[in-house]
Amino acid sequence: MQRRPFFGLFVTPAAVTALVFTAALVAVLQYSVRKHVPGSLDVGGLTFDNFTAMWRPLYGRVFLDTLLLCLLTSAISLLLGYPLAYALVRARSAMMKSAILIIVVTPLFLGEVVRTYSWIVVLGNNGFVNSVLLKLGMIAAPVQLLFTVTGVTIALVHVTLPVVVVMLAAALAHIDPAYEKAAESLGAGPVRVFMTVTLPLSAPGIIAGFTTAFAWTFSAFATPQLVGGGKVNMISNLVYQLGFANFNFPFAASLSVAALALTFVSLWMLRFATRPFEKLGQH
Amino acid sequence: MVTGRALVVAILGFLVLPAAVVAIAAFNDRALLSFPPQSLSLRWFIKAFSYRDFQAGFYNGLIVMLASSGIALVIGTAFAVALDRYRFAGRALIESLLLAPLVVPHFTIGLGFLILAAQLGAMRSFAVVVVCHVVLVLPFVLRSVYISLRNLDRRLELAAESLGARPARVLFTVTLPLLLPGLVSGWLFAAILSFNEFTASLFVTSQRTQTLPVAMYNYVREYADPTMAAMSLIFILVTALLLTLANACFGLGKVLNVDHGR
Amino acid sequence: MSTMAAETTAVPPVAPQPSNADTAVRLDGVTKRFGNAVALHDAWIKVGRGEFMTLLGPSGCGKTTLLNLVAGFLTCDSGEIFIEGALVTDVPTSERDIGIIFQNYALFPHMTVAANIAYGLKTRGVARDEIARRVAEMLSLMKLTGLESRKPRELSGGQQQRVALARALVIRPKVLLMDEPFSALDKNLRASMQVEVKEIQRRLGVTTIFVTHDQSEALSLSDRIAVMSEGRIRQIDTPQRIYQQPADRFVASFIGEVAVLRARLESRDGEEATVAAGACRNTVAAAPLRELSPGAALDLFVRPEHLRLVAENEPAAAQGIVAAHVYQGDHIDVYVDAAAAATGRILVRVPGYEAVDRAPVGARVGIATTGINTVAFPPEG
Repeated sequence: MQRRPFFGLFVTPAAVTALVFTAALVAVLQYSVRKHVPGSLDVGGLTFDNFTAMWRPLYGRVFLDTLLLCLLTSAISLLLGYPLAYALVRARSAMMKSAILIIVVTPLFLGEVVRTYSWIVVLGNNGFVNSVLLKLGMIAAPVQLLFTVTGVTIALVHVTLPVVVVMLAAALAHIDPAYEKAAESLGAGPVRVFMTVTLPLSAPGIIAGFTTAFAWTFSAFATPQLVGGGKVNMISNLVYQLGFANFNFPFAASLSVAALALTFVSLWMLRFATRPFEKLGQH
Repeated sequence: MVTGRALVVAILGFLVLPAAVVAIAAFNDRALLSFPPQSLSLRWFIKAFSYRDFQAGFYNGLIVMLASSGIALVIGTAFAVALDRYRFAGRALIESLLLAPLVVPHFTIGLGFLILAAQLGAMRSFAVVVVCHVVLVLPFVLRSVYISLRNLDRRLELAAESLGARPARVLFTVTLPLLLPGLVSGWLFAAILSFNEFTASLFVTSQRTQTLPVAMYNYVREYADPTMAAMSLIFILVTALLLTLANACFGLGKVLNVDHGR
Repeated sequence: MSTMAAETTAVPPVAPQPSNADTAVRLDGVTKRFGNAVALHDAWIKVGRGEFMTLLGPSGCGKTTLLNLVAGFLTCDSGEIFIEGALVTDVPTSERDIGIIFQNYALFPHMTVAANIAYGLKTRGVARDEIARRVAEMLSLMKLTGLESRKPRELSGGQQQRVALARALVIRPKVLLMDEPFSALDKNLRASMQVEVKEIQRRLGVTTIFVTHDQSEALSLSDRIAVMSEGRIRQIDTPQRIYQQPADRFVASFIGEVAVLRARLESRDGEEATVAAGACRNTVAAAPLRELSPGAALDLFVRPEHLRLVAENEPAAAQGIVAAHVYQGDHIDVYVDAAAAATGRILVRVPGYEAVDRAPVGARVGIATTGINTVAFPPEG
């Protein structure tokens, strides 16, 4: 077991890929401290102006909105994801299990454009929801859902829910049902069993799910762009606009760096805040 | 119990709703959205299939998908084996770098490769798109193969070795055949994700290398007719079909690690 | 448990050792560490050609490490390993010509029975018709004919084990290594597979190293046993001598049941010493008592079948109170509390039911030694 056949062959391609990825990140970092030359794709000399320019209420607002949308989306995904993950893991029939799994996993692979477009059709003023409510006479005029925080949040939850379910289900699947039976035999009712056994033991999945949902929401672009329609902006939209409308790549890069830093600080803080819960799930 | 079931059905309903609505919209004869549709037709499907940008996007996407998923499969499988078997300097570093695209925003990755491409003068080439996609889908291949490796009984390889098989023979007659489900599903995940990837692709593709999701995004920004609904429906059906097949062949539950531990 | 006939039979004074020419596997001072833990310490062992050698010990004693070293799955930190006279310390597993049976058999699940058996022949580049012939021969030897196109999961536990054995033996290995091969089988099947494996091993004359923690399995199958604990080989000897003349306290208490009586060294005369436990005198081997002078306290190890229950007032090695009777079919185990005269409870094995009538639970009884097969060691600590 000390011999390592094919070691170089196995590791080198991965190491090269990691290097290329690092190079891409370094390129962003490098551009973020360069001067913007208007009307040109080339960049000027070293400067920190891009970062100082960020301290404006306009950008601060977008950063704050992004964070809040991430937290809101992750929390809702967790609340909706838990019952689904539980049903998936504990489903008795294999058919049922497969059906839930396919319904959950399909959106995961669909990509943002198709999903976002679908939500425009659902939420638009002539869309499905408004048409149904109007027909039923529950509303007199269409409710504005598109271009609102509510609309964007709904669409974002739809993006993150599947991955949260998969992560929660992975954690739940590895809890031995004997623990729950043992708690039951000791006189605990279903609610107590859930609160004292299942929930604490699934803590690693909850943390992983929340973290991933947070990162994915942060990364979302088409959803805020199309469902938000310029009224609800996230950092991704700003980066794109600066890069492709203004061709100010240095500023786009510095925003990306700030976003990356914010992602890692948030994830780190999440880790820190959830550390006591993680211990709960160790078994 | 009953309320629990109703809740689960409601949440599943939320997941299915957009697909169902799009399916209805796709057959609407009129150019403007309306529910329920006044009359039905297939004209938007015909338009979707004949639209130039969609055709080009489909072929571009196919090229990028095949190249990137294939490359990611080889790199990911090799590294998953190394991760499972060997301790070496830089092991944790390479692993976290390769898994980082799961948390690093795609627009940052896209921007990074765009700048890199600009510096290398390769802005319009497929190579940039492929490399970017390899980086994006690699974590999924890595995870899928790694889980299969964890479930592989090392003693099978030891038995082969004791029977006189040298390392290459062990790899090709025992290890890889037993990893096949993990390899196929890892490749499938990579392929679907690459074909559907949008945000980073928006940054790294040019007019010439535009993939289908990018073409669809541009279409949505310009037109409001149900052509996109038709496209979306096809996407949804093909993806669901592929996943159902994958599930029937090797159990998605096992691959995604959501089945009960043995 | 008492598979070894426990009558005093003439036990050869020295364990038989294979001569170098007859040695199939030899370990010269092999040591293996995992980090700071020593898994195997300075092991010297010679396994004769055709011999059935068992490595016996509790889990973590180093027996599996030793097996893995012979197989080449692990490499030695120091020392040398020879197989059929050739130095193999640095030879990879695939070049060692060994056969191995794992606890779970490790049959290739994606290959048929026939393909499993043929695997080792294919790696050796044996011609195709020769492979077919030898596989067929093995199938019939192992009573597997007709199952060749099945997959391993379609076989019973016993059949799987036979396939594993066929796959390992078809290459005519220089040594067959078995790692707890019977522990996955249920009790009845285990007994019949043990007989079968022993018979095949003897018929083919294949050198075998067998790892187990089950002492009755070791006693019944082996030509010789190496008892191991904490990374060291404590004793290598025939089953009979291991049982009757254990080399140290560990071997004495690990193999079979044993009562430990407090006793005193009375006199020493060359190879033998006389030991007094209460009113009973016993002759034991003097070697382990070299350090002690007459009158010194020591522990006397006696097998339960060599103890007798006597009336309270008769001369005895110990006095105690009957704690429990356990009916075992052909005999009865009587447990006696005698804290003053022994460490732990004393187990006395009596042949018939009258013991129960003579010594009901709670009765005071005496325990006498019969003077057979006793060994003594200096007290612990």
